[in-house]
Amino acid sequence: MSRAASLKRWPGWVLLVLVVAGLLAVGSTRDAGARTPEERVEEISKQLACPVCNGETVYESRNPSSANIRAEIKAQVTTTDATDDEIIAYIVQQFEAKTQLVPKASGFESLVWVLPAGALVCACVGLFFSFRRWRRNVDTVPDDADRAKVEAALAAEPLTEVDEP
Amino acid sequence: MFGPHVTGPVVSSPAVIGTVLAEGANGFIGHSALIIGFAACLFAALGLVAATTTHNPRLLRAVQSYGWLALVGAVLAITVMVRALVTRDWSLAYVQKVGSYDTPALFNFTAVWSALEGSILLWLLLLAIYTAVIMRRYRHRMNDPIVAWALVVMFVVTAFFFFLALGPTDAFRAAGTPDFSRCCKGPNPLLQNHVLVLFHPPILYLGYVGFTVPFAFAIAALVTGRVGEGWLVETRRWALFAWGFLTLGIILGGWWSYEVLGWGGVWAWDPVENASFLPWLTGTAYIHSVMVQERRGMLRVWNLSLLVATFSLTILGTFLTRSGVVNSVHAFSDSTIGPFLLGAFGVVVAVSLGLIAWRGDRLRSPGAIDSPVSREGAFLANNVLFSLFAFVILLGTVFPLIVEAKDDRKIAVGSPFFDTMAQPIGLVLLFLMAVAPALPWRKASAELLRDRLFWPAWCGVATLAFAVAVGATGFAPLLAFGLAGFAAGSALRQLVLATRRQGYRGLLGRTNGGMIVHLGIILIAVALAASNSYTRSGEFTVAKGETIEFAGHTFTLVDLTDFTTARAVGIKAEISIDGGQAYAPAISKFIANGMDVATPSVKTGFTKDIYLTLENGSKPSTGVAKIKIFIKPMIVWLWIGGVLCAVGTVLAAFPGRHRRRPTDAVSAGIDLTDAPVASPKEVADV
Repeated sequence: MSRAASLKRWPGWVLLVLVVAGLLAVGSTRDAGARTPEERVEEISKQLACPVCNGETVYESRNPSSANIRAEIKAQVTTTDATDDEIIAYIVQQFEAKTQLVPKASGFESLVWVLPAGALVCACVGLFFSFRRWRRNVDTVPDDADRAKVEAALAAEPLTEVDEP
Repeated sequence: MFGPHVTGPVVSSPAVIGTVLAEGANGFIGHSALIIGFAACLFAALGLVAATTTHNPRLLRAVQSYGWLALVGAVLAITVMVRALVTRDWSLAYVQKVGSYDTPALFNFTAVWSALEGSILLWLLLLAIYTAVIMRRYRHRMNDPIVAWALVVMFVVTAFFFFLALGPTDAFRAAGTPDFSRCCKGPNPLLQNHVLVLFHPPILYLGYVGFTVPFAFAIAALVTGRVGEGWLVETRRWALFAWGFLTLGIILGGWWSYEVLGWGGVWAWDPVENASFLPWLTGTAYIHSVMVQERRGMLRVWNLSLLVATFSLTILGTFLTRSGVVNSVHAFSDSTIGPFLLGAFGVVVAVSLGLIAWRGDRLRSPGAIDSPVSREGAFLANNVLFSLFAFVILLGTVFPLIVEAKDDRKIAVGSPFFDTMAQPIGLVLLFLMAVAPALPWRKASAELLRDRLFWPAWCGVATLAFAVAVGATGFAPLLAFGLAGFAAGSALRQLVLATRRQGYRGLLGRTNGGMIVHLGIILIAVALAASNSYTRSGEFTVAKGETIEFAGHTFTLVDLTDFTTARAVGIKAEISIDGGQAYAPAISKFIANGMDVATPSVKTGFTKDIYLTLENGSKPSTGVAKIKIFIKPMIVWLWIGGVLCAVGTVLAAFPGRHRRRPTDAVSAGIDLTDAPVASPKEVADV
């Protein structure tokens, strides 16, 4: 067996999985540093809709009202100990910001989260039954036992000549 | 903030107004052209039905004449509109709406599609061209019922758009004496600030409208009962053509957003952006799953449904864009077109589903997908994910309307929702993109996969290791980079094997061209993952001569000045990055409508862009500027990915060396119970 072929056997894959797990663990858990105030302002402003624009976030919008909200978020971030959620609640209350951009996970709004999950489950169930049906079709192909039965039957009752009409 | 506004050129001279209002020719010719086109489409459709049922060759020849007449009508209508805009024919309401004396020639030309009425004219023109091309292409086969019925569908759709252009979106409607204090201010300033306005809408429309062709053939197949694989072969290049243009149009839209809107992003999950993405998703699912039908004769109903979904989503997207039902920076103002488009959407869906139900017996496929771990199994999984993705986007886009209808309250569903939902779907799609090219048709063994995926998988590991080494953090982006490397390795493996055997022809054909498209999509995914995860931004107030530091770079405000052009007044900053070249973000206030438009300035690099915008509040008189800085990693790879997608689509349209017919014997069933497992050397179908 060549070296390349032996590398591709299962030990090579096990090594690969271990390396991937290690790299992901190192990369995803290492300290990226505390969020800067600018990063917090950015993240919060992406959660809020511009009160006077057409479907833009406070982060995207260049409207003066959005600029005012960004300034207020920055002031809250730099001068208070409020969490992101508290700042969002404050901004919604102070500026009558039309809405948050993330639907709630309760009540009727939760449907927007639940329906995709339901659709995925339905699709998976549908695929499961489809493959089972297809598998059953494949299983109807005669196997050795079937062939043996046919041969035995043919041996017991040899075909006779049929007279032409 | 700005200096005194400059009055525009002389536009209110009574003599000029009297002269232009004397012209009524454009309106008359435009209306006549539309009426002729509408009538020609109806005659062509009816003639085709009659010719098909009576087998009358003279009628077929007449139909061709009507088809050309419809094209002439559409070309004439848009030509007249261009002329009306160029000559500033204020007798037309549309010219008063989007025309102005100040608009430069380029943007005066693109003003044709800068509002609802003109954009419908553009749609109509492209649809008439597609219809004429199909008629010309199949001119010797028009007595074939499937061709005839496909053309009937295309003529009916074209007639519908002629009707829209004549009725609810009449671009040639006469207007009274223009009140120049209120009208005639030119297109939206955002539509006259970048050359991409010349390319993005027509290319996007070529994609939208192009899906009419495979849809028409699908309906024709259902009507005639010839639901085998023949119509697929006829339309696969058309579907690819439409998909390629839609992809390019969407990417150009992202580029435009990046260059013009000044928020530093390319995609905002705006309802109108979503409307273009929806048919792209179902169209992408179709161009994959159609291969299963061509190869195995399976998924007939599913493929028909995907085509119907793609076409009807273009209508729905047009409805969302044009009716004003959703709030969007793109959406045109309220109009009466909404009910017509919604009605058309309903008719398309109802008729298509009715036909599919009617032909249910013929659509049943005797075949079976033998194993989920096979090429067709991967395509099926890919289809489930693309359809789920489309469902999520559609639901998120229309959910505010549903809540408003139910509870009479407004909610918004924005980027955070779409990002959350798109991320896992995107990651699984990347995984499938990595695995599927290595899978054989029918069934794969563990040994085969172990062999074929080994080096692509290590390619992914190398990418992941590189990302970790350069400081990338976060589980999701790292996983995205690793899977992207895996998928790229898999695509490159396919291309290397193909070119080793076939030379340059190994880059041609659907499979190999498709791999180049995969590479483009992978680059786009990496660019989006990196820019969404690691963008840094900050707003700063800087005095002239002052230097600030941000993200390892220095920014020096060299100058801050007012400027005045024929159309706008504004402020421009000159900012030196790292002591080098100065970049000049600006804000312009368009004089005609008083709208502020940002002009970002971008230092583009292979690893990151430095994106500068000038914010409101900057004052040249005091020498103090408010600037916003974005450090956006890997954005340039998004545009390179777009180019690769375009190149791959073109290569995929060329036939490869070994072209198999869909009726070849491979469609027959196999006995899995004692079939030998393909050895790794059996790479015939890689």
